[in-house]
Amino acid sequence: MSAQVALTAVQAQPAPGLDDAVVEGAEIVAGHDGAAELLVRLRHGNGAQSAQSLDAETAFDLLRAAGAASLDGLVGQSWRDLIKEL
Amino acid sequence: MFDLLIKGGTVVDGSGAPGFAGDVAVKDGRIVAIGPAIAGEARRTLDAAGRVVAPGFIDPHTHFDVQLLWDGAAKPALEHGITCVVPGNCSLSLAPLKAQDRKSLVGMFQQIEEMPPEAFTEAFEWTWEDFAGYRDAIAKTLQLNVAPLVGHSVIRLWVMGADAQQRAARPDEIAAMQDLLRQCLEAGAVGLSTSFVDVDENGHPVPSRFASFDELDALCAVLGERGRMLQIVPEFYATDITLARVDQLAELSIKHAIPTTFSPLFDSAATPQNVPRVMARVEEQFARGARVWPQMQTRPIDISFSLLRPSLFFARLPRWVRVLRLPLAERLEALKNPAIADKMVEDAGPDGGATMFAELVVRGGDAAPAALAGRTLGEIAAERGETPARALINLSLEHGLDVAFLAASRGHNATDRIGAMLASPFMHIGASDGGAHLASFATYGDTGYLFSEFVRKAGALSLEAAVKKITSDTAEIWGLKDRGLLQTGKAADIVVFDADAIGRGVERPQFDMPGDGMRYVRDAVGVEAVVVNGEVAWAGGAYTAARAGVVCELN
Repeated sequence: MSAQVALTAVQAQPAPGLDDAVVEGAEIVAGHDGAAELLVRLRHGNGAQSAQSLDAETAFDLLRAAGAASLDGLVGQSWRDLIKEL
Repeated sequence: MFDLLIKGGTVVDGSGAPGFAGDVAVKDGRIVAIGPAIAGEARRTLDAAGRVVAPGFIDPHTHFDVQLLWDGAAKPALEHGITCVVPGNCSLSLAPLKAQDRKSLVGMFQQIEEMPPEAFTEAFEWTWEDFAGYRDAIAKTLQLNVAPLVGHSVIRLWVMGADAQQRAARPDEIAAMQDLLRQCLEAGAVGLSTSFVDVDENGHPVPSRFASFDELDALCAVLGERGRMLQIVPEFYATDITLARVDQLAELSIKHAIPTTFSPLFDSAATPQNVPRVMARVEEQFARGARVWPQMQTRPIDISFSLLRPSLFFARLPRWVRVLRLPLAERLEALKNPAIADKMVEDAGPDGGATMFAELVVRGGDAAPAALAGRTLGEIAAERGETPARALINLSLEHGLDVAFLAASRGHNATDRIGAMLASPFMHIGASDGGAHLASFATYGDTGYLFSEFVRKAGALSLEAAVKKITSDTAEIWGLKDRGLLQTGKAADIVVFDADAIGRGVERPQFDMPGDGMRYVRDAVGVEAVVVNGEVAWAGGAYTAARAGVVCELN
């Protein structure tokens, strides 16, 4: 299968009230299609945690939107603000 | 007189029962006797002393739809002991399809399978539109058995045309899809496949992703008329959505009395709770009476890349990312600039990138010299008198950046965890994707890897349990009549292998696709003979002229 990992994952965001998620961490993982993917860990306002996988193109756009020079630069940023820039 | 007598092996019959010393006799494509020292003559005898004699393996998730039109063995699947494949997964099959829609489907297939365009224009004559026509087209030269799914996307395309990729269906269109699915099942389709994640060559969602739940429910009602399978690709990258899909499948399974399966499901150190959470939900739903089979692959996931495209493999090296995201011409100039390249090498660490790059493998099948294929960058760098980081840059530059590197076993690679998952009675071993991802990685040898890694090395499954998992369990889940067991009266699909040696060969490029297209393959290891419907299809390291494969009958 060939997954549209990026935008589908982003669009599948939690319901209103959980939209104040912040990035808790990010790491590179092996994707099903044999490409490196970015796994972003989120902590939501109610304390819940979740993760989103992004393909390379979307991940690089995310880093640009975050003004982050490295993965660590994503930590602490608002997920909602970041995906608005994509 | 028997047609075939396999003598002196250890019979592991697929039921999970302990293996026993015995012979297997075959006549007219069926097993006619199993037991010690069977008397009688045979037209052909195979000596299986010191070897295991087991039912042929069944691969429930493949994309051999196109390849089967010119290669009835789905090479190299058959030589790995596979005697039955299920193509048509992920919402895509080659029928039913109107002639005017072929171009649309080819794009989707190329996206998923990475099949060269010549495969669709030079390798076969496209004579069919309906499912029976496709079945007849592949049936002429089958060397292994096939249980084909029909794809939801092509059913939508047939009924809705271009609208299939734009909107939900109207009630009259859903009714037409039901009729069409019914025809496909009557023509031998083992079930329906759909996808919630796949995209076409332009990045647009495939048609099945525009379906409403009412549409899927209506199609499952048709599956329920015959108890046939629904296969889906869920949003596997998000655990919570996958859980919701498990619940959805369970409702469809119970309502329509159908089996369902989803794939892929894989383990990751980054998300260690993913599989346990999904499996807990699966077990809950089985307890309710649903049949929701997760499919898990045995092989680990590798990461591959070249400098032709920016890869997240370099995400922790910002200077590399900046250079690799430049347009190609500017990227080449930057990499050739000694000042920039020196800085990149410096960023790779005081060891010259040894920690990060030395174990990378040059894959071959690209512009790099063939002699480098399969060798590590560390070895090559040492020969060149360079650091690994410098060698990565220079080797790429010398070949127009068309040099593919492989970082092996970077995901789904915790053998102790995965062994227990594979052994679960609720886990369906599959998801090989055989025949897909041709230019990205080899999708062959997963069955051999099951034995080498999880039986011999880890001891997570007994030999008998592993055989059962990929033979009778699979046949039962999919309703394949008379397959998956070595029993008198069953179809004579048999594999003879060395339990101490069976495994998978190293990944290597092979240029055997139409148009001299390249794909990555793995050779079989430890498999000595493969019998399909009583005919020896592969033995002694070579294919025979047998063409005994069939489209499977279903229970």
